[in-house]
Amino acid sequence: MLRNYLKIAFRNVWKNKVFSLINILGLSVGLSAAFVIGAMVFYDLSFDKFHPDGDRIYRVTTAFKSPDGNFYNAGVTVPLAQALKDLKMEELETVAPFFTAYPIHVENPETESRFKDPEFVIYTDGAYFRVFDYNWLVGDKNTALEEPNTVVLSENRAKKYFPGQQMSEVLGKSVVYNDSIHAVISGVVANFKDRTDIVFEEFISLKTAATQDMTNVVNEASWSNTSSASQLFVKLSEKAGPTKVQETLTQIAKEHDEPEMVAIGRSNTYNIQPLADIHLNQDYGTFDFNDSRTTMATLNSLLLLAGILVLLGCINFINLNTAQAIQRAKEIGIRKTLGSSRTQLIFQFLGETFLLTLAAALLSMLLAKWLLHLFVDFIPEGLNFELFYNPWVIVGIVLLLLMVTLLSGFYPALVLSKYKPVSVFKQQVVPNSDKGTLRKYLTVFQFVIAQVFIIATLLVGKQLNYIMKKDMGFKTEAIAYFRTPWQDTSSVKRARFVREMENIPGLSQTVLSGNPPASFTTMSMGVLFMDGEKEVNSDLQLLYGNADFFDLYNLNLLAGRLPLNDSIREFVVNRSYLKFLGMDDPEKIVGKSIKSGGEEIPIVGVMDDFNQHSLKYGVSPMAFTGGSYSGKYTQFKTIHFKFKSMDTGNWSSTLAKIEEIWKNTYPEADFEYRFMDDTIKSFYESEQKTAILLKWATGLAIFISCLGLLGLVIYTTERRTKEIGVRKILGATVFQLNLLLSKEFLKLVLIAFLIAAPVAWYGLSYWLEGFANKTALSWWIFALSGVAMILIALLIIAIKTVGSANADPVKSLRTE
Amino acid sequence: MLLQLKNIFKWVNTGGQRIFLLKDINLEVEEGEFISIMGPSGSGKSTLLNVIGMLDTFDEGEYHFLDESVHTLKEKYRSNLYKEYIGFVFQSYHLLDDLTVAENLEMPLLYKKVKGSERKALVADILDRFNIVGKKDLFPSQLSGGQQQLVGVARALIASPKLILADEPTGNLNSQQSEEIMELFKKLNKENGVTIIQVTHSEKNAAYGSRIINLLDGRKV
Repeated sequence: MLRNYLKIAFRNVWKNKVFSLINILGLSVGLSAAFVIGAMVFYDLSFDKFHPDGDRIYRVTTAFKSPDGNFYNAGVTVPLAQALKDLKMEELETVAPFFTAYPIHVENPETESRFKDPEFVIYTDGAYFRVFDYNWLVGDKNTALEEPNTVVLSENRAKKYFPGQQMSEVLGKSVVYNDSIHAVISGVVANFKDRTDIVFEEFISLKTAATQDMTNVVNEASWSNTSSASQLFVKLSEKAGPTKVQETLTQIAKEHDEPEMVAIGRSNTYNIQPLADIHLNQDYGTFDFNDSRTTMATLNSLLLLAGILVLLGCINFINLNTAQAIQRAKEIGIRKTLGSSRTQLIFQFLGETFLLTLAAALLSMLLAKWLLHLFVDFIPEGLNFELFYNPWVIVGIVLLLLMVTLLSGFYPALVLSKYKPVSVFKQQVVPNSDKGTLRKYLTVFQFVIAQVFIIATLLVGKQLNYIMKKDMGFKTEAIAYFRTPWQDTSSVKRARFVREMENIPGLSQTVLSGNPPASFTTMSMGVLFMDGEKEVNSDLQLLYGNADFFDLYNLNLLAGRLPLNDSIREFVVNRSYLKFLGMDDPEKIVGKSIKSGGEEIPIVGVMDDFNQHSLKYGVSPMAFTGGSYSGKYTQFKTIHFKFKSMDTGNWSSTLAKIEEIWKNTYPEADFEYRFMDDTIKSFYESEQKTAILLKWATGLAIFISCLGLLGLVIYTTERRTKEIGVRKILGATVFQLNLLLSKEFLKLVLIAFLIAAPVAWYGLSYWLEGFANKTALSWWIFALSGVAMILIALLIIAIKTVGSANADPVKSLRTE
Repeated sequence: MLLQLKNIFKWVNTGGQRIFLLKDINLEVEEGEFISIMGPSGSGKSTLLNVIGMLDTFDEGEYHFLDESVHTLKEKYRSNLYKEYIGFVFQSYHLLDDLTVAENLEMPLLYKKVKGSERKALVADILDRFNIVGKKDLFPSQLSGGQQQLVGVARALIASPKLILADEPTGNLNSQQSEEIMELFKKLNKENGVTIIQVTHSEKNAAYGSRIINLLDGRKV
């Protein structure tokens, strides 16, 4: 029976090549999107699932509450770990603090080979290895990190530092960090084989940090300082729930809140974060900063997209199969008289659908491979085609295929199997009795989706163009900057660097200052403004620079003067701060002062607003101030420079000269400069990604919908061949015939537009809400996308109708 | 007795009026009979045949087939019944265009859940009996009308039914082909004892039967 079904299914598919192709193509586009997105979701959800007791492992993190919103830090204050240990809670099996370190280099003294910037180095102790279960190749889990100046390496690192040696030989050898910290290798652990965010490779014993700390954090046991370098994992006891631990942490946080901070609405709390939450929680991040992370929200919207594309493909299926139902009525009648039950027929048709779905799936596997390649920027590095061999993924794919088969095949099967043999044989199911109302609804639905996508693409493009072209409020052309290595505290070197750069003929200006006016880094402080009786607390962003910096970026002073020199603490506030304080006249604030941390800082001037970040956000209150006052902790670590000419051809040679100076001054570090324009562009990376993704989604949605439309047009036009012939003989022109044939479909596209426009308007105004600077939701966007959709639809319709309208009527009537 | 119809009525309502398709039909058919149903167009011949074949329902009356009361049976049992005992032959053959001759012949066996090896044997047997072994891999469109109807009859017979219902089996055939098919029916009736009920317009074809039933406006005359 099955063989017979397959045979007839295959012959049917083959006989209706065009329709089968439309079905398969449409479905495979949707399916390949679903496969790739599904793989991404699977990939992101399969992190750190392999740890024994993984459900008992938590990270302790910090959330700061302030009047300006909440901020999150993956780190905790240093004393917290000890405090937790001292409580000896029975709910806590292990408390494992660790500190992330960023050595400049590490050396194997035997071979004198040096390795720059080793990543994923931490200071920790044996507790860490009681939380995470590693496979120890050599060394003892319990004692390896007992002594100062010992280090446990991962297998990968051991092989890198000691190439060609057995792990047992590596044990007892030593490495040197930053020329000064000696560490004897006391163990080697195998790297985790499965996907994990616990990426650490070198574990230096915590006792080493007592004397030789690369992080500047370990020995600062203060309850008021939170650094993401100081992190904490805990493992709960068996059967202990997280509630009690969370309560204790909240209590500890409350005890150590500073009253004066609480008074202005600032407090912090510790939260325990399950291991499973780490991968997708962007508030706290993971440990690998190079890895761009998705969020659950992104995954959800991608899943929605995949769902929509698959649904569009299924709709083609339903439409074309019900449209063709009449042609199969006879077969159904015969099968029923020969004894087939309705159930058997339903299974037969579902089988056919499954066959087509399977064909589409095979095709989409190829497409998926290509898509993975095409969307390499969107896809995490570890995700490749191998993932599709994972048994769970295969099960998922099979389930998806079955679901698609049911979704697209069930309704047509129901319609088809309903035919009564008697009426079929009596020719009572005449083709025109099928009004195809459902098909119209479904087609309208498809075009609503396509239309919404078109409108969204246009608007997102417009908005992106608007914010990227809009004036930031300061000069950005021909300006670049680089940061001097943060480990190098020598201000003499920096000054010398600037002096040497001033001799380069291609540069017009070189300034040593803080961060550029707009960057990813923000510095801010809580300040108190006092104007007689009135006291206003707020956050104030800080921009560290000098007069040359002010000039280089063409910032605009509205009133007062700049700070007298680099090292005097005087503030030039921006207009937004004035607005925040409810003041209008810039002159009035000059001479007043701000209080912060017990210090009184005079306001000496007012500058015009400029954007400190993506234009998605508004201008924050800000103060410009000198920043070279605090010696070792000076803010003046970034060198900004401006090219003399706009002729970009000479720039590379100028940059080469700067790099030469860099190599002489900082041989240890890499030279990385950035153009201001590029920095600004990079603010919009996520929006640009959205735009690209949206373009693809639009293209695919249009493609699938148009395939469906084409199928319906072919079908109806062929059904009306005789009518066309008769009309032509009676004198209809080709144009009139085309109009007649297209009218029915254009009506659907128009209805779709009428539904799509308000939906898109609503959704997009919501999206635009997220931007401080927004482009208008202009009427022409809707008009343009409506016209575009109609033109596309007309083109598709014309493919078939022009030919039919031109056909020789005599022929069509004869074959009829 | 093979089947019995008692006071069968069938009607449709159009525009408030009740139009009778079958009116008070009483009919008894013994096994081994060869009955021809005759009458002008629209007299209800095909409807009666469909009712007998359980493809169509009726509104009033009783229908006994073998020992079963068809009018009380559920759809599923009814289809089991006709699957088992009845074979159909149609005017326009109604072969499945996408299947070869052999595959068309195999179809009723599939729905009767006959085993694979047995199916092959039965198909080979009937191909042989009808002298169409050479055509087994051809598609219906490659055959002449007479040949197609031959396959149609063969398909009706393959599951060894007790009753064959033929709705104008020769309506689309020329006279020579007609004669061949009718001879075949006669032979099946005589030699194999298959009961046959045919609908026909032709006096000549009706003469092959042992009994003629005339219908006019849904009534037996």
